[in-house]
Parts: sequence; C-alpha cells; structure tokens
Amino acid sequence: MQAWTVIVDRHRGPSSWTVIAFLRRFFALSDDLCCFLLLQSQNAMNASDSDEDIYNERSALVRSESPALPSYIPDSDLTPPNGTPTKRLKAGISRRPGAAAADGGGSDPEVEAEEEEPLKYGAKHVIMLFIPVTLCMVVVVATIKSVSFYMEKTDQQLIYTPFTENTSSVGRRLLNSVLNTIIMISVIVVMTIFLVVLYKYRCYKFIHGWLILSSLMLLFWFSFMYLGEVFRTYNLAMDYPTVGVIIWNFGAVGMICIHWKGPLQLQQAYLILISALMALVFIKYLPEWSAWVILGAISVYDLVAVLSPKGPLRMLVETAQERNEPIFPALIYSSAMVWTVGMASPNETQRSEPGGVKLGLGDFIFYSVLVGKAAATGGDWNTTLACFVAILIGLCLTLLLLAIFKKALPALPISITFGLIFYFSTDFLVQPFMDNLAAHQFYI
Amino acid sequence: MNLERLPNEEKLSLCRKYYLVTLAFCQIFLFISPGGFAFLPFLWLVNVVWFFREAFLKPAYTEQLQIKAYVKRSALGLLLWVAVLTTWITIYQHFRAEWGEVGDYLSFTIPLGIP
Repeated sequence: MQAWTVIVDRHRGPSSWTVIAFLRRFFALSDDLCCFLLLQSQNAMNASDSDEDIYNERSALVRSESPALPSYIPDSDLTPPNGTPTKRLKAGISRRPGAAAADGGGSDPEVEAEEEEPLKYGAKHVIMLFIPVTLCMVVVVATIKSVSFYMEKTDQQLIYTPFTENTSSVGRRLLNSVLNTIIMISVIVVMTIFLVVLYKYRCYKFIHGWLILSSLMLLFWFSFMYLGEVFRTYNLAMDYPTVGVIIWNFGAVGMICIHWKGPLQLQQAYLILISALMALVFIKYLPEWSAWVILGAISVYDLVAVLSPKGPLRMLVETAQERNEPIFPALIYSSAMVWTVGMASPNETQRSEPGGVKLGLGDFIFYSVLVGKAAATGGDWNTTLACFVAILIGLCLTLLLLAIFKKALPALPISITFGLIFYFSTDFLVQPFMDNLAAHQFYI
Repeated sequence: MNLERLPNEEKLSLCRKYYLVTLAFCQIFLFISPGGFAFLPFLWLVNVVWFFREAFLKPAYTEQLQIKAYVKRSALGLLLWVAVLTTWITIYQHFRAEWGEVGDYLSFTIPLGIP
C-alpha cells in the first residue's frame, strides 16, 4: 500500500488557484499585480490496494516579482490575463487560458481589452466554484447514505494509519489517532518535498508518469469497486463483459479528457467524480477519530506550506514562475469561462478572458471527506447540511481574502475549521437541542 | 477546452483523433487486439456530441466536410455498439438464471433472492 499523492497544482499537484482574472475583474487590478491564489490542500491518498503514490497538493502561484498591493487601488496599467500563447498547456490540460493564473505568472502581459470587472462577474466566479464543490459533496453524501459499503466498519486500515482505534480507553484512542495523524502528515510532507525536488530537477517524465498511473488507478480500479458496490446495494445482476465495457469506456475517456483534450464539461465532470471516489476511499479507510484529527492537521499544514517562505508548495510555485512554465494542470479543476471580445481575426491573441476559477482536486477531496464523514457518523441531516454550509462560507471567505491579500492562500484552513466547528457543535449541541424541542413539541 | 477558440484545422484534427485515437490507446492497454479501437463507443459518443454543432449547425467552411464524415462514422459505430450491447444485456438478464453455472460464471454481481 502506498500513499498516493496527486499533485494537482501546476506542478502536477493538486493546487487550487483562483485565477487572477477573477481578482482582476473584481478589483480592477493590473494583471501584473494579481497573484494567483494558491489554494493548497495536500491530500495523501491512501488506498489499501493501490500501489502507487499520489500526492495531492495544491500550490499557489505567486508572482515572484509583484509586491503585494492593497486590493482596492485601481491600477492604471490594466493588463489582461495572459492570452492563448501561454496557455498552451501540456497534455491533459484542457484548462482555459483564463487559467491565466496558471503558468506561473510568467505570462506575457497583454494589453487588456476589457477594463472593468463588473461585480457580477466576480460573483459568477464564486458561483462557478460553488457548483462543482457542491456536486462533489452531493455525490459523496448520496453514496454514503445509500451504499452501505462505505460506512461499514472495516478492520482493514491503511498503512498510513497503523494504530488501531479499537481500544478500550478514550485516552488511548486519542493517542492513537494523534499518532496516526503524525504519520500521515509526515508522509504527506515527504511526498511534497519529493515532488518539489523532482520538479526542481526537471524530472518531468517521472512526474508525468506518476500522475498518469495514479489517475489510471482512480479511473479504473476505484470506479470498478464503486460500480460493484452500487450493483450489490441495488441487488442487480451484472455480467463481466458489460462491466468490462463500461469500466473500459469510463476509464479510457476519462484519461483522454483529463490528460489530453476534451470538452470542458466532461473534464470537469470527471475531475469531480474522481475527487468523490478518493474522498469515499478516505472515508472508508480512515479510522473515525483519526480522520477528524487528520483534517485539522492537514489544514494547518496547508497553511504552513503555502504561506511560509520555505514552504514546499510555495517553492514549487515560485520555481514554476521563474521558469515561466505551466505546471501540469491535469489535476486542477478549472471552470473557465471564455469571453472573446471583439476578435478581429482568429489569430488575435488579445482576448479578454476572465478565465475561470481554479481549485485543486485536493480541496474537493478534503471538503467531501468532511461532509461525507458528517453524513456517515453525524446525527442526521442537520449535521451534514451545517458542514456543507460551513465549507461554502469558508470558500467564500477564502476567495475574499485572496482578493484582499493578493497572494497565494491555502484553501483548506478556513473551510475545514468552520466545518469542524460546525460539525462538533451541531452534533453535540444543536442536534440534542432540536431533538428535545421536537420531543416536547416546542416550536421556535 | 472550448471549440470556438480553435482554428478549423485543429478542430478537424481533434475530431479525427477522437475517432482514431482509441486505436493507439487500445494498443497500449490491450496489447492484443488491434480491433480494440472499436471498443470505445463512449468516446464516439463524446465525439458526436461535441462536434455536432460544428459539423451540422455551423455555416460551411473548408474542413467541415471531413468533420462531418468523422462525426457520421462515429455515430454509426456508436449505433452499432448500442445495438450490440442492448441485445446482449437483454439476453443476459433474461436467461441468466436458466444458464445455471455459466450464468454465474459470467456474473459480476449475483442478486440475492429467487430469480
């Protein structure tokens, strides 16, 4: 068993970025002064039957040369987001150029055709992130509630969480979960650093191969398991040839869409699906208390890795920027909108692309893990909904902070913190309160 | 990836690749049957849906004829596959219980209860 680390960031890591375009639009900032929001989440994906390491991490891109400016100062030299040229992404990138943010800032500044970012566009971008996150969570919660496989307690644990939680005393259990967390986080740190080193020494082929193998595993093996469980739950008969054709098609088209070119909606759908699959694996195989502690620890790590000067993710981003290359964006969700303004000729690159918003897959995964765990072990729908709302609020705030600080920010901490607070308070305070009210027929 | 932003030649090339790329794909993954390219009806479906507007609803341009050809071929392959799959699934679901051991051997999931 190995941990999978999927780098969703530009550097083949799960990086969530909010495209500058959003900021630009929102705050009429010059492209040069916009920073990419680096939403990072690092996911260590462990699968008991995986034999590959995937590390999920998102890195934010920060323009190494741009100073942090107050976001409300309109810049006179508005430059549009990088246009098409820099958007020639590598395989598997079907990001929109708006992904301007993508490619380490070394994009060629272009004269912006559009000026203002009407606030409605800013709101649109936020909505564009809400929808996929919501969809992912809906898929995870729906599966948890209907397919009992993912809620069954299993003695099988991931190799990264070797300490069992089946102990008699609370203290022992707490200790074990903390130890599990430490192991998991150190694995993640090691993977991140490994990836940064690989990237620094330009071992692109290795990273590429790593990512392809990990998405292969996700798309074929996990979906095969998932399909099997769904059929078992609904008591349907299915034969091997048909299942083979279905999985083969699903996986092959997924590989093509994610790593090569494909329709944007299909690529988005696939990314959401594989995030949901990973989240389900986590939910099944992480012991209860360990899962919560890991969520908290990963948020802290995200914060540290992105914001501290020597943080690996930050170094990753800066390296990419120095080299002026697009990182492998195969595992970043991109919800780009493309606006072409007054295209005089097909060759004109002066497009105004508000770009979309980018969020790394790791973010999707951990958000879904939180909501999925709330659905699996929480009291009832109150808890689940509370966590869901908390995460969306956190996401909003993160985007807001991005606009204010204009530098790479991690996407996990705020949402996960809110999510954890809401989960525990709803489960232990609000739920019993409401049950009591209902029992006494007291409506407020 | 937005089709509008691509020049026409690239659209054609993409459509063609979607139709054919499964061949290379299958040779990597199957290693055995060169006919593996025929096993991706989903990809053909994506091809048809994605390039439908380009092929039939847009004003003509040079490469459109070839794109139309590829879309039609993909649609044909897709229809063939749908027919085959529907037939097989119907046969299987209907006769699975009667086939006894062979039916079980073929089954990925066997439902509980009396058929």
